Amino acid sequence: MISLRGVSLVYPNGVRAIDGIDLEIAKGDFVFLVGHSGTGKSSLLRLLYREMIPTGGQITVDGIRVDRLRRGRIPALRRHLGVVFQDFKLLTDKTVWENVAFALQVTGAHTKDVMRQVPRCLEMVGLSHKSRMYPGELSGGEQQRTAIARALVNNPKLLLCDEPTGNLDPQNTTEIMELLGRINLKGTTVVVATHNQAVVDRMRRRVVRMENGRITTDEERGFYFLGLGQDQVLSG
Amino acid sequence: MDWGKIKFFLGEVARNFTRNAGMQITAIGTVAVTIVLLGAFLYVRAALAHAGSDMLNQITISVYMNPTATQAQADAVRTAIAKDARVLDAAFVPKKAGLEEMRERMKGQIDLSTAMTENPLPDKFRVHVRAPEQVAAVAASLQKLPGVQLADYGQDVVQRMLSIGSIARRVGIAVIAIFILTAGIIISNTIRLTVFARRREISIMQLVGATNMYIRAPFICEGLLAGILGTVIAIGVLAVGRAALTHQLAAIPAGFVQTSFVQVDAAGLVLQLLAVGGAVGVIASWIAVGRFLRT
Repeated sequence: MISLRGVSLVYPNGVRAIDGIDLEIAKGDFVFLVGHSGTGKSSLLRLLYREMIPTGGQITVDGIRVDRLRRGRIPALRRHLGVVFQDFKLLTDKTVWENVAFALQVTGAHTKDVMRQVPRCLEMVGLSHKSRMYPGELSGGEQQRTAIARALVNNPKLLLCDEPTGNLDPQNTTEIMELLGRINLKGTTVVVATHNQAVVDRMRRRVVRMENGRITTDEERGFYFLGLGQDQVLSG
Repeated sequence: MDWGKIKFFLGEVARNFTRNAGMQITAIGTVAVTIVLLGAFLYVRAALAHAGSDMLNQITISVYMNPTATQAQADAVRTAIAKDARVLDAAFVPKKAGLEEMRERMKGQIDLSTAMTENPLPDKFRVHVRAPEQVAAVAASLQKLPGVQLADYGQDVVQRMLSIGSIARRVGIAVIAIFILTAGIIISNTIRLTVFARRREISIMQLVGATNMYIRAPFICEGLLAGILGTVIAIGVLAVGRAALTHQLAAIPAGFVQTSFVQVDAAGLVLQLLAVGGAVGVIASWIAVGRFLRT
């Protein structure tokens, strides 16, 4: 699904945000990107949905050479992946239903597809009963679930999440992570950038650890901290 | 036809349009002022062209014979005029009739019968040309004939009218160009405000894979709407002005000015103005959104 070869990203001011990364993520995988703030997790995600262009290396997402993608082809890439952010990025003057429908409407979908897809996604995230409410009337967790529904409405094969639980309390965090797990079970590849230790340690999924723009470790069923034993997690 | 799609799109345009109502009114007002100026200019120009061609149609060439010209030379000129295909009609005015005409014209001003003891006027031909633009050529060819003293059609006056007309036209075009530019800039800034107010929405649109064309469309419609609304107001103002002027002109016994004022192709002008107003709106908003989308 995702393949990075020798990818680097140097900002105009000389900062090396990404410094020669090789990474393969298979279809249906669930991957945590962990590391301190400023280690390049968000930059890496931005490269994947072509918000940024790498200064070196090759990036392939779902068979598309993202590093070489022409500007005019960006919409086609974005329609095949969903992105979720820490700050939800919802439109406050639109209802839950309208926020989710928006993603379809602005890509020129037919009304009958909107009428079919929106309820399906709202049901998946458990917000069918709040579809007429505005984001301001929802809890943080509900807002994030709305954002996830919007990301899913185009039936993406890949879901990118940048600190999805950064603004949420532990209860909502757990619910969101369970939701992402369910989405992954349905076959969607999920990549989550986070520095929430509890989330990573509970899920026991693949953990790619970054430091100073490089991947330092890559473990199947890893923990947030390298080499941390099960006992230590429970006691800590 | 997908009505849900159309409803959604129109809803977006309406929301844009009402979001910066104050700015939007400014933009529409500027367009209206610009189009009133442009319309008045084009209208007056059309009316003048009409009047001008009327006047040119009335231009006659006076071919004055030399007092010493022989009858044979006069006959030769007469035949030359009669053979010329460009000539509509012509008349011979012997010196006696010429004096009568002059007397008639000067009646109440100068009593020619006491001022002059003998007739100083030469014989002349009065030549009417088919097309105004042929006047100069016909006059020149007649001038060359032997026995002709002067073939005159009031060159100086015609030339002066033409040059005044061209200066007025240049100044008018410059003023209108400045106004169109101003209107464009104001519309562009208005749209930029809307774009700025909606930058969050635009970034989400880009995120979920809306094409730039799709993102642009509501803003283009907004600009088009501002341009067209301004133009419609301007056309209203112009129509009222035209009605008032027509009324005023009716009181003046200057027939051809009136008819040429009324005879302007108003429907064609309205279409032209709508096209200009709409184009200004579309181009201005295209530029405004373009700058934002490129970043």
